[in-house]
Amino acid sequence: MATVQVSEAEKVYILHGIRDDLRVDGRGCEDYRHMEVETDVVSNTDGSAKVTLGHTAVLVGIKAEIGKPRPMIANQGYLEFFVDCSANATPEFEGRGGEELGTELSNTLYKVFNNQHSLDLKSLCISPGEHCWVLYVDVLLLQCDGNLYDAISVAIKAALFNTKIPKVHISSDEEGGKEIELSDDPYDCMRLDVENVPCIVTLCKIGHRHVVDATLQEKACSVASLIISVTHKGIITCSRKVGRGSLDPESICEMIEAGKRVGKALHPPLMKLLQQEESLGNKRQKVGFLG
Amino acid sequence: MPTDTKRVRGPETSQSPLLFWSRPAKVLPSHGPRADGRQRDQVDVRPVFVRCGLVSQAKGSAYIEAGSTKVLCCVYGPRETERKDETDMKSGRLTTDMRFAPFSCPERGSWIQGSQDKDFSLMLQESLQPAVCLHKYPRSQIEVNVMVLENSGSVLAHAVTCASMALADAGIEMYDLVLGCSLRQDGGSYVVDPMYPEENSWRSGSGEKQGGLTVAFLPSLNQVSGLQSDGEMAEETLTAGIRTCIEGCYKLYPVIQQALIKAVRRAALPPAES
Repeated sequence: MATVQVSEAEKVYILHGIRDDLRVDGRGCEDYRHMEVETDVVSNTDGSAKVTLGHTAVLVGIKAEIGKPRPMIANQGYLEFFVDCSANATPEFEGRGGEELGTELSNTLYKVFNNQHSLDLKSLCISPGEHCWVLYVDVLLLQCDGNLYDAISVAIKAALFNTKIPKVHISSDEEGGKEIELSDDPYDCMRLDVENVPCIVTLCKIGHRHVVDATLQEKACSVASLIISVTHKGIITCSRKVGRGSLDPESICEMIEAGKRVGKALHPPLMKLLQQEESLGNKRQKVGFLG
Repeated sequence: MPTDTKRVRGPETSQSPLLFWSRPAKVLPSHGPRADGRQRDQVDVRPVFVRCGLVSQAKGSAYIEAGSTKVLCCVYGPRETERKDETDMKSGRLTTDMRFAPFSCPERGSWIQGSQDKDFSLMLQESLQPAVCLHKYPRSQIEVNVMVLENSGSVLAHAVTCASMALADAGIEMYDLVLGCSLRQDGGSYVVDPMYPEENSWRSGSGEKQGGLTVAFLPSLNQVSGLQSDGEMAEETLTAGIRTCIEGCYKLYPVIQQALIKAVRRAALPPAES
């Protein structure tokens, strides 16, 4: 992971500030940095989104392919996650350097979506036991400035919202053979219901308090953080302690409560923004990567 | 009619019969006593058998058996670190490697470490690291290798307990032991220390609120060093689950202490006496 060197004096400064609910960049303990979301940024994907959170930039592309359902769950499609830590983000990721972080992130994403309600996987089924849609969710880290988990989860939610899966019809001929027919109309496509897709909130324990959306400097001051993924209803789909320190059971409960509150508040503005962007259609001004 | 005898006349792709055979058993009752006679909604952990010092080559080793979950752990080191590029040479490095034997699960696994094993290794490392006094071992690394011989549920929790025992057996300085406990939430009720079928029953089950939780706990410092959960849980359920797991860890504590004392006594005795 990209790290910064923070001196002892700087650490004390950050620590004392957080004790008084004042962070280096002027935010409160439960405030996010400025976040920008743009969907439909890569034309070759079925759905894509780019999220910038402070200086953290994440690009998510979703490709839908027809595959075979998992034998245990024949009537559902599935998601595949892959996180690529580009060497652009930090030279440490060069070669195989980013692999460890990439597996950690993708394994967490599998856990976040490992439940029945996050996404309606049954709608991804084409014919039970034979064909289904497989959504390949590829995450690319363009810039790292702390709080990767939150940025990635928001980007995934936005990209899933943007995903358009072509409609297919199954026709069977006289001999009982089945054929998949793709619709002629490119606009005839299926959308996913992303209302229940959770967002991840990372809480960094710094001193006796915890902060949301920690920068790299703040992260260097903390020994342990808790990540929890929260749906718009406040259901927790995944939680995990990361970092080399340990946490008090009492503070874990406080952090879960704070994380749920922050996570729940994250969903309505995001959905509103996505719908607004969608309604603009072609008139929308594209910002792209240099905006 | 001539037939090609060399060709296998089966379908091109096939599935293990186990997959279909075990399907009716997958629906477990969500009330009443559990398959092995333990109670629901109670901190009813499986009795464990633990022993230290089985592998003579290793600096420290431990074996734990809970029900039919069998985990073996070896600790090597501290020795000179292999990776010289690490910037932080003032404290030691703890490396963990957790593997499942190919025959440990109902379906055969491969020897190559999959992404799930890597995830378990990482969880194990994060759970153990807060307990080890790594600053006492500058420029060195301590290797923890865990092998799951039989997976009958709650593997990660028992691996954490086993690994901390092996570390203690190796004489590595630690702040505290690390104990693991896991729980499975199934709608309104929960089961502590779930077995393999209990852990995996929900995938095909209905859409009720179900989830799994594993906690690693330092009992005398009262600190949670590892936490992971998946599935769907309300906030209250999750916090209640964490408390239940901590209670489960306390139940395990005297057993582990006894086993360590026994191991120390055995090591202290002159070999001629026995």
